[in-house]
Amino acid sequence: MRISLKPFFLSIMVLLILFPFVYLLWLSLSADWSFPQVMPDYFGLKNWKALLISETGLLRSFFQSVIISVSVGFTATLSGFVISRNIAYHPKKNTLTLLSYFPYIISPVVFGACLSYFFLKLGIFGQMTGVIVAQFMISFPYALIFFNSFWGEKTKNMEDLVSTLGGNRLSSFTKVLLPLAKGMLLVCFFQTFLISWFEYGLTSVIGVGKVQTLTIKVFLFIREANYFYGALSSCLLILPPLVLMYINKKYVFNKLT
Amino acid sequence: MFLEIQYINKSFGKEQIVKDLNFSLAPHKTLSILGKSGCGKTSMLKIIGGLLKADSGNIILDGNDISELEAEKRNIVYLYQEDLLFPHLNVFENIAFGLRIKKQKEAHIQSKVKEMLELLELEDQGQKMPHQLSGGQRQRVSFGRAIIINPALLLLDEPFGSLDAGTRQRMQQLFKDIAHKFKITSLFVTHDLKEAILMGDEIAFMQSGKLKLYKNKEEFIADPSTGVQNEIGFWENLIPKGQNII
Repeated sequence: MRISLKPFFLSIMVLLILFPFVYLLWLSLSADWSFPQVMPDYFGLKNWKALLISETGLLRSFFQSVIISVSVGFTATLSGFVISRNIAYHPKKNTLTLLSYFPYIISPVVFGACLSYFFLKLGIFGQMTGVIVAQFMISFPYALIFFNSFWGEKTKNMEDLVSTLGGNRLSSFTKVLLPLAKGMLLVCFFQTFLISWFEYGLTSVIGVGKVQTLTIKVFLFIREANYFYGALSSCLLILPPLVLMYINKKYVFNKLT
Repeated sequence: MFLEIQYINKSFGKEQIVKDLNFSLAPHKTLSILGKSGCGKTSMLKIIGGLLKADSGNIILDGNDISELEAEKRNIVYLYQEDLLFPHLNVFENIAFGLRIKKQKEAHIQSKVKEMLELLELEDQGQKMPHQLSGGQRQRVSFGRAIIINPALLLLDEPFGSLDAGTRQRMQQLFKDIAHKFKITSLFVTHDLKEAILMGDEIAFMQSGKLKLYKNKEEFIADPSTGVQNEIGFWENLIPKGQNII
């Protein structure tokens, strides 16, 4: 009888994928765990309870990150949708599309350093507004590129049809274009939210330690060798992407396929 | 005349697409325009519909100069070869679209759309989504959506081009019936000889941006540039002289 090794390898693969997540959760529940101890001295909810203590600032960072990422995702998606239309119908479409890639050809830290002078002049350096504007500047081109495929001859004909039926530009957007692009808008919002959520380089330069997003916090804890809080903040960090992935699969992906 | 087109010209770069376009059309009449692809007929329709700006010339509709008016204020509906039904709206809402844009009362919308659905023989299809309809049904919905707002002028850009022969024939008859019932004034662009002769009260031929209007269908048939003579010759050569088809 031939034994199939497929289930064995499959189980190994699943374990390897799940291990970092399980280990992070384990670490976040642990304290006083030093070499060569096999198990931690403490295992419980102590770290998670510390979330509520203002000292760690984790809860504050979490909500600050949510506000920043939702703002960036929302503004980049909506403005990207509207402006990508102008680019798509512009005679110099190819040049403008090429320019959209500009923020991605230089490192976010260098990009942040270039921007810092202007942000300082505008008085938004080290402010949450400054971080939102800076992150918008890298999410917005993504949205422009993302929506490029939406605009084509058929969409243009539909817009023209709406106007000959008596509709103006606003009704064309609200009654036809936005409902048509609903799925794409949601996906773009998720993507730009995630770009902002995991952004580190630009945020650390523009935020100058005053704006501590969750991603910044994770690095701070790791630098301090506080692995338990680091693991805890990492657990918080992957929570919104997991929720978004679930919503994406349930409400968007299933409808698109 | 109800529609008067005066010296319309349009160029894209160095290429002149529409040259000295001049014609007029009486109310409730259909002008068939025959032309090959790229002859400028779509540009001409788009200029009349306000979707493309002419370089020069005037458009007079029912005594008013509409040359500078925006498309949404012209009350001219442009119908494409593609039905362009809005995929997120059902049949009822697709037909009601123009009425909702014009903010008509709900009771009026309900009665007008139901009436239109009956006329288009789509009374059972109101709640269906566009992807659930056949090509002919979709084109009928597209007609209904255009006609329900009572446009002053209907522009049809090869509307039956994507339909099979049988459906095309039924749609041609349906359009003639609807045009008669609603007293529609229209420009019907096609590259199909037979369709051009069948659909128009008047007939014109467009070539390289120039439009030639014929006094009657006999003159159109007699003109060698329209291709009718070639067509007749083809069928005559196919059937040996003195032999009946059946």
